[in-house]
Amino acid sequence: MNLNHNLKNDGIYIIIPVFNEQQTIRKVVESLLVLHYNIVIVDDGSTDATEDCLVGLPVFYIRHEINLGQGAALQTGIEFALSREAEILISFDGDGQHQVADLARLIEPLLLHEANVVLGSRFLPAATTNISFFRKQAIFLGRAVHFLFTGLWLSDAHNGLRAFDRQAASVLELRENRMAHASEILFKLHSHQLTIKEVPVSILYSMYSKSKGQSVFGGIKIFLDILLNRIFE
Amino acid sequence: MTAIQVILSFGLLLIGAYAYKKFRNSIVDAVTMGLFILAGATLVIFPDITSSLARALGVGRGVDLIFYFCILFFIFIILKLYARIRRLEQMMTKVIRNNSIAGAVKVSEKHVVEKEDKSQ
Repeated sequence: MNLNHNLKNDGIYIIIPVFNEQQTIRKVVESLLVLHYNIVIVDDGSTDATEDCLVGLPVFYIRHEINLGQGAALQTGIEFALSREAEILISFDGDGQHQVADLARLIEPLLLHEANVVLGSRFLPAATTNISFFRKQAIFLGRAVHFLFTGLWLSDAHNGLRAFDRQAASVLELRENRMAHASEILFKLHSHQLTIKEVPVSILYSMYSKSKGQSVFGGIKIFLDILLNRIFE
Repeated sequence: MTAIQVILSFGLLLIGAYAYKKFRNSIVDAVTMGLFILAGATLVIFPDITSSLARALGVGRGVDLIFYFCILFFIFIILKLYARIRRLEQMMTKVIRNNSIAGAVKVSEKHVVEKEDKSQ
């Protein structure tokens, strides 16, 4: 990257929460290795050969004894990276839907100190995605819910591709173990008055990633989780 | 005493016996349960108390009044239990997280160490 900054790649951590990703994880990690960032795989209690798929790769591997949920795995990765003096933390999916080419655009505003958090968006100009009609409607509802609770009208909701600077990552302390963590992140960022920027990213849904991801109707459960999060925060 | 009063009194007696067995080491819990059972027994044996209370509050029947209060009580209990489950889940998550971070490995180095172990 051709930017004037003092940050070395040592300070950049890509956190990949995984659960039974033996089909894709090695390919995803290998595609990221060219960047020479630190890669942290948080295995959320996989019961398949995910761990074996990583043999020989220069990545950190952390394993939850039991499956806790994506939010819990992400928080584990964040705490690990922060303990190793991470300056920039990126959350990245292990199912192959995120693109390595987007990472430069994602971390650029952090390096230039334009924002504390950069969120990937599937709906900004220049973004490409093969998202289905129903998923798009569900995301619209998600955006509306976020607006209701935070006043932030974002162009996307629940996109797993994000980058945080150290300050933002430190305040997250996610307590939602499952999918509602995506909303919790926005609530925390908003309440700590951190600067958020959205950049266009390309998300490619395959049959595999769709089967791994949340269903449209799972959105209703997430909404309930968000409500309960607000009540029991 | 009507048949339903006998059934309800017997039920309260059973609950009281179970509570005594479970809570006899905790005086506060035992006293709280005792008071609840006593209040329940009083209302079963003297149903006119609830009826007059219901009329005073603008509810037709004493049974309805009890029913409304039960709904409120159960919502409160559900929320209390849910909050406790969340607390337990957060504690469990913390324990698992700390363990897993303590056991973090660099996969490539682990592989080398395992090879060296085997060659020795």
